[in-house]
Amino acid sequence: MTTYILRRLLLMIPVAFLVTVGIFVIIRIAPGDPILTYAGEDPNPETIAYVRAQLGLDQPVPIQYAAWLSRALQGDLGRSFQTHQRVTEAIIERLPVTFELGAAALLISVTVALVVGTISAIKRNSAVDLLTTSFTIAGVSFPNFYLGLLLILLFAYVVPGHILPPGGFTPFSTDPWDNLRRLILPAITIATASLAVNLRQVRSSLLDVFGLDYMRTARAKGLRERAVIVRHALKNALIPVVTIIGIQIGAIIEGAIITETIFFIPGIGRLAVQAIPSQDYPVVQGVVLVSALSFMLSTLAVDVLYAFLDPRISFGGAQA
Amino acid sequence: MARRFSRVLAILAVLALVLAACSGTPTTGGGTTSGGKPVYGGSVTFAMNSDISNMDPMLSALFVDRHLMYAMYDSLVRVTPKGEIIPWLATKWTVSPDGKTYTFTLRTDVKYHDGTAFDAASAKWNLDRYRLTKESQRLGELASVDTVTAVDASTLKVDLKAPSAPFLSVLVDRSGMMLSQKTVEAGGADFTRKAFNAGSGPFILTEAVKDDHYTFKKNPNWWGTAANGDKLPYLDQVIIKPITDGDVRLTNVRTGQVQATNAVTGKDVPTVKTDTSLVYQEIAGIGYASLVPNRTAGFIFAEKRYVQAVSYAMDRDELLNKGPAQGVGVVGYGPIAPSHFAYDPNFKPFAKPDIAKAKQLVADVGKGPLTFELLASSGDAATLQFAQLLQSELAKADITMNIKTLLFNDIVALQQKHQQSGMTLIGWSGRIDPDGNVYDFNYTGRPNNDSGYSNKDVDSLLDQTRTATDQAKRKDLFLKAQQIFVVDDPARIFYSFNAAQLLTAKAIQGFEVYPDQLPRFQTVWVQK
Repeated sequence: MTTYILRRLLLMIPVAFLVTVGIFVIIRIAPGDPILTYAGEDPNPETIAYVRAQLGLDQPVPIQYAAWLSRALQGDLGRSFQTHQRVTEAIIERLPVTFELGAAALLISVTVALVVGTISAIKRNSAVDLLTTSFTIAGVSFPNFYLGLLLILLFAYVVPGHILPPGGFTPFSTDPWDNLRRLILPAITIATASLAVNLRQVRSSLLDVFGLDYMRTARAKGLRERAVIVRHALKNALIPVVTIIGIQIGAIIEGAIITETIFFIPGIGRLAVQAIPSQDYPVVQGVVLVSALSFMLSTLAVDVLYAFLDPRISFGGAQA
Repeated sequence: MARRFSRVLAILAVLALVLAACSGTPTTGGGTTSGGKPVYGGSVTFAMNSDISNMDPMLSALFVDRHLMYAMYDSLVRVTPKGEIIPWLATKWTVSPDGKTYTFTLRTDVKYHDGTAFDAASAKWNLDRYRLTKESQRLGELASVDTVTAVDASTLKVDLKAPSAPFLSVLVDRSGMMLSQKTVEAGGADFTRKAFNAGSGPFILTEAVKDDHYTFKKNPNWWGTAANGDKLPYLDQVIIKPITDGDVRLTNVRTGQVQATNAVTGKDVPTVKTDTSLVYQEIAGIGYASLVPNRTAGFIFAEKRYVQAVSYAMDRDELLNKGPAQGVGVVGYGPIAPSHFAYDPNFKPFAKPDIAKAKQLVADVGKGPLTFELLASSGDAATLQFAQLLQSELAKADITMNIKTLLFNDIVALQQKHQQSGMTLIGWSGRIDPDGNVYDFNYTGRPNNDSGYSNKDVDSLLDQTRTATDQAKRKDLFLKAQQIFVVDDPARIFYSFNAAQLLTAKAIQGFEVYPDQLPRFQTVWVQK
């Protein structure tokens, strides 16, 4: 197992390298000139030329990349063109916020999917099942920026008492209750689409498992229905669900981009939203690199989790 | 002749001094009085429509940055809501007879938030930093300055290379903001976003979380007083938050999470006007909206009659009231805004669309129907909606306007190189002196002259607006130039001025709206 994990970690290096090359080229192909954004509405030609040289943007792209890479390998992702803040510092400041939001969204998505999906599978074709199926279609179809706005309006104007505020962020260390209050709506916004997919996946996996021989055996042994469902059916039905959840971690980062903007949460997503239109190259490169690494690490975590869920899966040499 | 000119300047300088003396101790705005006697204490959370990029006035290139700066920094002079320049850190000033030397008398009771004293040496350091640092964004604004001298602790002398009437107005904003040398130098590269204790303003920045909030505490030692003699500021705390989505911003105001904002989208204005828990103020701003034709040789709009034809075919009332602005703003015809001293309310050359005249102008050129391309910024539904409305108006005069969307930066880059094939849709946020709205946009070869416009008469008139110090004379010169670069030989097509808005919760008092749209918190108080 350790060898497997180490090998996977080593494999991440070339992937991360390709990601950096890709993003470096793509944002430079994109039309526009970052210095014009920097210069604002009163551009002074001398200042523009000086700043361009200072930032190294007058150099050929391969040289710019080599300079960036050599600094990045030493942990320096450069400074933002716009704010002059160190990119590593900006990311470190914001990562916990996005992580908390993502974890809350994942928690909502997985918990509700497991509970409701299981009920829906057990009570197949019942009213609950019908409701669940309808929800899954709506959840997948609903764009999260729209859902976010609807939730804000709902709790601002319909639900009395302003229990859940329309956006903003309070660190957990400052005020735990306010932190949770402000997290609920954006977490639901991000969770809804993945919840719909997970719910459907849990339901269909369980229905597949229900028809298998060992389920009949478990029941024949006289086990209680709850034990049959939880210990025998659910555990085996989880493998495809875990795979999908692993992929969804990437989608959660993507969801954070829009949700953090709507709910004005100072996370990685908002950092990206500000950096992309102003062509703040160092920030965009840093955010994409971190997102790619997060995605690779979560995929690895999911693969490792398989072994615990199903002992038949092993990561020995024969698998290579 | 020269002697007479000097005498006029001397009289004007004396008049300026008298006016400055009449204003007495710099009051910091009268405030609204509907709520009775102002009370101390309380906190106000203010929402702006995007986040700042830079707290250093030297490097700041975005309008939004100034929201914070007016709370934490003082500048040498400031403006009233009517656009009049008033004493601030400089209590008075004199202008030499040749208009080239400004001598400022500075306050002696001012300390920066870091405890160091503000004096002439500090003022010199700031002005030199802004005008001599290579990457400074203030180089253009302070280009007229030759030398800065600290005569004594409270006297600052600024020598200009040539007389420059708009010079004082430049010192109102970032180019005149005074910061503590000690804190700026200690901050290094991080100063741009951690400008704690650098200013001397009414509020002290205590917390800065990018994309989330900026917290300011009251500066108990601030020097300013209100018109009624109250020591300012009233508030204990100000929090400024960037909320980019218009609906979410308004919802935050309506639910009391935020108590004030200066950005309300046009569609929401009717709603907020009828909401009795809110107070909505709106005045004409100093920014303008315009179409920028490429007037250089080889392009369609090198022919001025085509530009005039488009201008006559436009229905400016409809564009403002039926377009995405939904009536927020003021119909305009030139770049000189209602709050500028040089504004002429009777200047309405295109008050109603004149389709027949537009058709006639195109026919006079004799090259068949006019077809051109408009570059509009992509990713903004309102811009596209506006462009489509304009397209339908021009069609009535048989003018075909094809809309092409590009990134804002690309449009700017194209028009700076004078490579737009037809027109672009780009406005200007405005400056308090009309010079900042006119000179660089219409003078041959200037950096913001994106239409590539050149008219010797306009150049000559605009040069004179800079050397003349008599306001009436300057106004006359500006209006003569405006007649040419708007009507006779148009450089751009102007169609509206923006609005300066302010939406506050009812309990918020003393909050005035300024044409530059920026909030001033020192007079604000919360009704108990």
